[in-house]
Amino acid sequence: MALLGVALAVVGAWTALTLGPSGEAHFSATSKATGAIVVEPDVLNSLNMPVRVTATRRDGGAVWLAASPSTDARAILARSAVSTVSGVHFPAGTLDLRASGAGALPDISTADVWRLSTEGVGSKNLVVDQGRGPEMVLVTSGDTTALTNVTMTLTWAHRSWFFEALTAVVIGAIVAAFALFDLSHSHRLARRIKAVRARRSGART
Amino acid sequence: MTRTFRAMALSVAGVVIAASVAGCGAAPAVLGIHGPPKANPASVLLTVDQAKRILTRDFTAAQQGEMTIGPAAEAALRTAYTGDALRAAKARVKLTKVRPTLGNSPLLAPPRPLLLAVSRGFGFPRVLVTQTVAAKGSLPILHLLTSPDARTPYRISGSVTMLESSKVEPFDPLSQGSPLVTGGAGLAVNPTALLNAYAAGMAFPAKAVTRPPYAQDRISAHVRADAAVVAKAVATQAKFSQVHKVVPNSVYAVGQANGDALVFGVIERTDSFTVKKGQAVNTADNQEFVLLTGKKRVNRSASMTRLEFVVFSVPRSTGQATLIAASEQLVAGSGS
Repeated sequence: MALLGVALAVVGAWTALTLGPSGEAHFSATSKATGAIVVEPDVLNSLNMPVRVTATRRDGGAVWLAASPSTDARAILARSAVSTVSGVHFPAGTLDLRASGAGALPDISTADVWRLSTEGVGSKNLVVDQGRGPEMVLVTSGDTTALTNVTMTLTWAHRSWFFEALTAVVIGAIVAAFALFDLSHSHRLARRIKAVRARRSGART
Repeated sequence: MTRTFRAMALSVAGVVIAASVAGCGAAPAVLGIHGPPKANPASVLLTVDQAKRILTRDFTAAQQGEMTIGPAAEAALRTAYTGDALRAAKARVKLTKVRPTLGNSPLLAPPRPLLLAVSRGFGFPRVLVTQTVAAKGSLPILHLLTSPDARTPYRISGSVTMLESSKVEPFDPLSQGSPLVTGGAGLAVNPTALLNAYAAGMAFPAKAVTRPPYAQDRISAHVRADAAVVAKAVATQAKFSQVHKVVPNSVYAVGQANGDALVFGVIERTDSFTVKKGQAVNTADNQEFVLLTGKKRVNRSASMTRLEFVVFSVPRSTGQATLIAASEQLVAGSGS
């Protein structure tokens, strides 16, 4: 019981430290493949809270992010070369990337299917709110230049996660303390009984 | 500490730990992780904000394209218009050289177009229907913006001035979207058949249209009367005919809340003159014709092409369609 309590407290403490007071969970992966990067609805719409998608180009070039209904995004992508963010791993903090398709994507930034979009140089992020899914986020250079060596980071933030982790720490600590106290109390009791028995057996002789 | 109390305390602690461990195992449920929502094929994929941004972009470009000249203005026209509307806008700009009043085109952008309808569903083409009023007291203009596929932005494919006393029945709320009616199902007449019949009914020499699916209107009556006047005026020198043909793929029908549909279409009108033998027609006074053809005199034949943008209100199930908006633009000419 003491071990379980300690384990719960350690896991809670580690989670609280990982998330931080703002309760942010970060997941990253770097795409080395050439082509656009998409974040599937399985990942993007997996929680009822906004997700911040950040794309960082190693070469500091232009980056363009946009969110659209998944049917339209798939129609636009067709069979072009893309790296797809298809899964996240906690507590590893990593993303699954899957390369598929072939051929360059034309300049799609002028299309009207993008509900949200942003562009910048080097690193840029897009906060996608929920409620209009299924949606996909697409990352390109904003023109016909192919992307490569881009680090994708997805961030979900929920303050209550931090406090839930702290709660686990407290519960684990209480359980561990109680179990240790009980253990030491049992030990003392056993020693007393043993001493009393020894005295009684000494008196008989 | 009694044995009973200890047993109870251990039980509580056990339950707490078990619940915590189970909670970790069921983390997705605890955190609210779920699969992606299912796509609703009847939803509107364009938000009202997106639609308004599109209108602002296109109408601003239209204004820039029609008020200025040069490559930037041409690019602006291509941003604003598509298809026959682009052809008409280019011609309108070109003809301002001989008809400066056209510079005050009623199609120029007012600051705030009124969004009437957004098409619903995943399919393409998608449309936006909007209304503007060029100046206080002038007749409203209905605009149809279309996007043929996911990669192509919305552009104005028709701008049509409403007729006096005409009105547009309400569409479904923008958040629900309006269906694009294909094939005319549920309507009194197939939209394409309606436009074909309307075009045939304006021909000169006149051709009888039996049981027209549209109510008579002053625009077609005016076109037929004008044709008769022209034919009479040139009778000694040339033979005149006028043909109206529906432009392929120009017909769009947008369903309205009451089950009716607003039908947009483009008809190409060709005025043809066949010069009689031994005759030569001086066209110098027709500045538009001279500008478009470079000819001040024709000996054999001449033609002028106009695009007629029309909007009909088509009732559901029974009744006749009613013309509610119409505009025309001279776009081409030829002579020999």
